Amino acid sequence: MEFKLEAHRIVSISLGKIYNSRVQRGGIKLHKNLLVSLVLRSARQVYLSDPCPGLYLASPAGSPVAPPQQPREPAARPPAGWEEPPSPAARATWQETEPQPERPATPGERRTDGAEPAASVTGTGDALRGGEAEAAEAAWRRVEGPREAEAGEPGGPAGDSDVFPEGPRAARRHCCCAPGREDKPGTPTGSPRVDCCCMSRPAEDEPPAPPPVCPRKRGATGVGGGTAGCPAPGSTPQKKPRRNLEEQPGGGEEEEEMETGNVANLISIFGSSFSGLLRKKSPGGGREEEEGEESRPEAAEPGQICCDKPVLRDMNPWSTAIVAF
Amino acid sequence: MKCFSRYLPYIFRPPNTILSSSCHTEADIISTVEFNHTGELLATGDKGGRVVIFQREQESKNQIHRRGEYNVYSTFQSHEPEFDYLKSLEIEEKINKIRWLPQQNAAYFLLSTNDKTVKLWKVSERDKRPEGYNLKDEEGRLRDPSTITTLRVPVLRPMDLMVEATPRRVFANAHTYHINSISVNSDYETYMSADDLRINLWNFEITNQSFNIVDIKPANMEELTEVITAAEFHPHHCNTFVYSSSKGTIRLCDMRASALCDRHTKFFEEPEDPSNRSFFSEIISSISDVKFSHSGRYIMTRDYLTVKVWDLNMENRPIETYQVHDYLRSKLCSLYENDCIFDKFECVWNGSDSVIMTGSYNNFFRMFDRNTKRDVTLEASRENSKPRAILKPRKVCVGGKRRKDEISVDSLDFSKKILHTAWHPSENIIAVAATNNLYIFQDKVN
Repeated sequence: MEFKLEAHRIVSISLGKIYNSRVQRGGIKLHKNLLVSLVLRSARQVYLSDPCPGLYLASPAGSPVAPPQQPREPAARPPAGWEEPPSPAARATWQETEPQPERPATPGERRTDGAEPAASVTGTGDALRGGEAEAAEAAWRRVEGPREAEAGEPGGPAGDSDVFPEGPRAARRHCCCAPGREDKPGTPTGSPRVDCCCMSRPAEDEPPAPPPVCPRKRGATGVGGGTAGCPAPGSTPQKKPRRNLEEQPGGGEEEEEMETGNVANLISIFGSSFSGLLRKKSPGGGREEEEGEESRPEAAEPGQICCDKPVLRDMNPWSTAIVAF
Repeated sequence: MKCFSRYLPYIFRPPNTILSSSCHTEADIISTVEFNHTGELLATGDKGGRVVIFQREQESKNQIHRRGEYNVYSTFQSHEPEFDYLKSLEIEEKINKIRWLPQQNAAYFLLSTNDKTVKLWKVSERDKRPEGYNLKDEEGRLRDPSTITTLRVPVLRPMDLMVEATPRRVFANAHTYHINSISVNSDYETYMSADDLRINLWNFEITNQSFNIVDIKPANMEELTEVITAAEFHPHHCNTFVYSSSKGTIRLCDMRASALCDRHTKFFEEPEDPSNRSFFSEIISSISDVKFSHSGRYIMTRDYLTVKVWDLNMENRPIETYQVHDYLRSKLCSLYENDCIFDKFECVWNGSDSVIMTGSYNNFFRMFDRNTKRDVTLEASRENSKPRAILKPRKVCVGGKRRKDEISVDSLDFSKKILHTAWHPSENIIAVAATNNLYIFQDKVN
């Protein structure tokens, strides 16, 4: 149990470092971020492998209850929420509905409607029923899935060899292809596209359509589910494979997209040895969009954001604390 | 072990700082220190992109006690902050490394680098100036030709010594990642620059192209597992160089083997001790500095907690390991939180390769005598530094009863770190950079 808490703490610190590295002068330091990602991975392994159930992992059989109160508190008080284990209901909801934020957010598909997500997210129930570790793993998977869905930055830095484009691309690939497991190989096709579909682009209404984000997973329908191709909010996620359900919402819900994209993006680091760290989002002189993305969660009250985003209500305090960064 | 004393309370303060040393700007933080090949000059670079060169005073029979004092010789702005508009990246002006070229004429040459650009600077003296121009008056204003009735030959007259630094070459646009090392080859015609993933070989005369000799960038960046942290040429063999990695390994490469030295000739790695495994094992095994001995027989590496000496002929483990501050092993989590665990300490050999030195926290620095196996901890601080004083060895109390002069681990000031030190090539003179102050210590002379 102590190991789990320690791992939890280290994960939060590491995510904070990664987050802060984006605003540091001189650009993202590859070496430091690599080391941080290694620590993150170790902590994650410990966290997931520790057999101790812990208070916050028990969950009733997949009832997608949206706990309105509990998650909001952590959001409002990130430190407290951080330490408090989420309630079982919250946890269950998070596991179930985690993909929700990443789905193309249409008003009709708000998380408030708990039943729908459960129905539309295929396999979620299975994951929940599959036992805790499996559920956790599934949750991780779902979290990482959305990576691909986020729209990539259109104006990514040119140059294949640049660290920034590589990172997002790597993140994208990883998220699509290797759900939380490092042993899965990355996407074979080296998409020359610089943008990371996994990154949210807060300021963009219409996510651009990059080349297939993760061709392996996408297939013919992939483009639609592809990040950039993130369809307009009118899409019907139910028809798509589960992974596509986790897509970043397209236009309109900019704030939510950016919000969850930010969080999910950070969380996705868990599943990768390195990807997700080398984002195009450069620190100094960053684009407005990036700053918007980063500052918006911070600028507004965390509670405020959570108010508007039912999505966050269902996330466990861990995620909301990340938002509060 | 020789005793080090302070000949003079020489504490460097940047010329434009009028604040006390306890209140300094970030730009004044010294980021690199390097003696030249004779030890006559000492160069420092700081975060503000400036280079300050000190010159040793000539010995004088009249002032024996002032022998060897280092005075400011030249100051110049080497790098300026830049902005890469294409990538929306700011490029820091911090000087990462300075390396001197051997002196071949009256002028001095050094290489200085920031994250992206290497520059070759020429530092020369001017102590004469031409006077007696016909077309210009003494202030340089043009004279009306109609007023000139005679011709004279301009002559060179002595003037106050002026030291000027001019950039002779700019080696730019060759590194995508941050440059961490430069090293001058023993052929004095080429040098290499290393960033996180690549090493390039340059000719001093050619600035618009370089050879890439090491490239460890994977095809998928998500498969990246290690980066290059330091690189250096062999002191005598112009075909040999080493580079260290974030995984704690050192690779020795021979440029004669192939154009691209991705495949190493030798691979130095010590197996990890499984009992020391922790979340931070990878971080503390990352090598922050690698230095060849002057003899060329050994290499020394510095990771977070230790200094290791390797024999080039034995790849499977170092021949010597020195604990710099093992008491920090139990505090790695806190050091991770406050980012101290990412500090990159350097290490240096003395002229005879018998003593090695490296820095620590609380303005402590450590010396290890390889022959006697004795070590000493010294402190670079104003309070302890009176003229002619002998530096008192310090000790860190790791637990239990703390003795009178000891300092406990929890009292260490982690903001005072000595990352950069330098040792005179032939004498026992050391330069220690403590944040924005430069301390120069000399061995006691009878």
